[in-house]
Amino acid sequence: MDEISAKPSAIIPSGAASLRTMTVTMTVMCYLACLAIGALILINRAVDDWTHGISREVTVQLRQISNVDTEAELLKATTLLQSTAGVTSVEALDRKASLKLLEPWLGNTNLDELPVPRLIRVTIDEASPPDFEALEKNLIANIKGASLDTHRRWEAELARVAHSLTLLSWWILALICGSAVAMVVFAARAALDANREVVEVLRLVGAKNSFIARQISQRFLITGLIAGCAGILLAAITFLGLGSTGQAAGNGVAAASFSLLFAPHGDVFSTLLVVFAVPLIATLIALATANITLRHMLKAAP
Amino acid sequence: MIELQRVGLSYGDGPKILKDVSFKMEQGDMRFLTGPSGAGKSSLLRLLFMALKPSNGLVSIFGHDTSKLGGSDLPLLRRRIGVVFQDFRLLDHLTTFENVALPLRVIGQKPDDYRRDVMDLLDWVGLKDQANAKPQILSGGEKQRAAIARAVVSKPEILLADEPTGNVDPVLAKRLLHLFLELNRLGTTVFLATHDLSLIKQAKGRALRLEHGTLKDETL
Repeated sequence: MDEISAKPSAIIPSGAASLRTMTVTMTVMCYLACLAIGALILINRAVDDWTHGISREVTVQLRQISNVDTEAELLKATTLLQSTAGVTSVEALDRKASLKLLEPWLGNTNLDELPVPRLIRVTIDEASPPDFEALEKNLIANIKGASLDTHRRWEAELARVAHSLTLLSWWILALICGSAVAMVVFAARAALDANREVVEVLRLVGAKNSFIARQISQRFLITGLIAGCAGILLAAITFLGLGSTGQAAGNGVAAASFSLLFAPHGDVFSTLLVVFAVPLIATLIALATANITLRHMLKAAP
Repeated sequence: MIELQRVGLSYGDGPKILKDVSFKMEQGDMRFLTGPSGAGKSSLLRLLFMALKPSNGLVSIFGHDTSKLGGSDLPLLRRRIGVVFQDFRLLDHLTTFENVALPLRVIGQKPDDYRRDVMDLLDWVGLKDQANAKPQILSGGEKQRAAIARAVVSKPEILLADEPTGNVDPVLAKRLLHLFLELNRLGTTVFLATHDLSLIKQAKGRALRLEHGTLKDETL
């Protein structure tokens, strides 16, 4: 007589009700979830970088006014700014630099005749910034043609766009989770139908519904794990592909995609942690949904 | 232990399969159920292992009215009943050993805890050499013995069997009868549905005859 195997066979046969279709669909969902998470991380990083740059600087603009020596006003403004608390550096752009800023809009034509405003780039101490309201009043009172641009309008606009994109990403993630739940419900029903005979025998030998549900849902656990890992792998290949195709050409999306995988960004560890949560969440969704659905169906069955 | 009072059964709006069936069995009783095909023997057994609820009347098992049982009580009561099905109901993907051990696995026992008991039982029913065989390669008689072993492996208080000797030769039928008698001697309440009148005569047993859905008590 052959030895009895120490590990008994699975009570639910693995061949019945193949979960192959579900594994493929779940993989696609995990892949989309990884892309959505990647996009979410990139948006947040970009907005952080932009708003950090914007909030670190303010610009003082000097309009050219007839009969006013703009260069003298520029010097006065620079001195005033240097003596203001909270200002760390002041850099007056020369006329050439100011004209260069207009080139993208007006082209390379002769702009010498234009009354181009002069700009002063002011770097501020983020920890204790100056009183912008008082500074603006001071500038207007003492410097002819001066105005202060704190970039707050742009910052607010950027924050609004970023907020909308973040909400959109979360909404996509929620839709993916919802679709995954619906798919697991259908697959669990199909698995129960395909194993009706086994389930009947288990019930007749005294198995509780929780025991039967556990036996079937164990297969969903493996499916969720495989799909989650495959989704991550596909997403990593996608980001790698995006990163390597356009980075040399200075493509921003490419650089950002590449940085998601390799760049020693400050929070690369937390990024990886978030992405690796995908297989975990996929497994939990598959397992919990299958278990709840099966218990519900078994309870309703005669 | 088992009590039926004026039990009627019909499937949906169909004709009555059982009419006013009443009988009672105490612990340690042994009864045979006989009658022609289609008389309702299997339906009566299905009522007793709570796969069906009566259309009217009372079916009481271990003092519980089966029509009032909740979903969580049913498995616990079924664990106290062993059933041998006419069509065996062995699971094709499990070995003979695993099929027989199924009721123990369901209650959470580990293979190390039940391996010896199950092997002893397989030896007793003459299937030790087939322990690793799947049901597809077992003969009808071997399947029958595996089904009986599965029904008794958890030492149930009640044993219900539907034609338990229907697929075996007279020698094995006699051996199985002795198994049932032995279980009954040890205190198990045994209820066997069979066409085989010689089996009832050998056991000098008390039989209930089911005909056209009604029950008559007789001793052969």
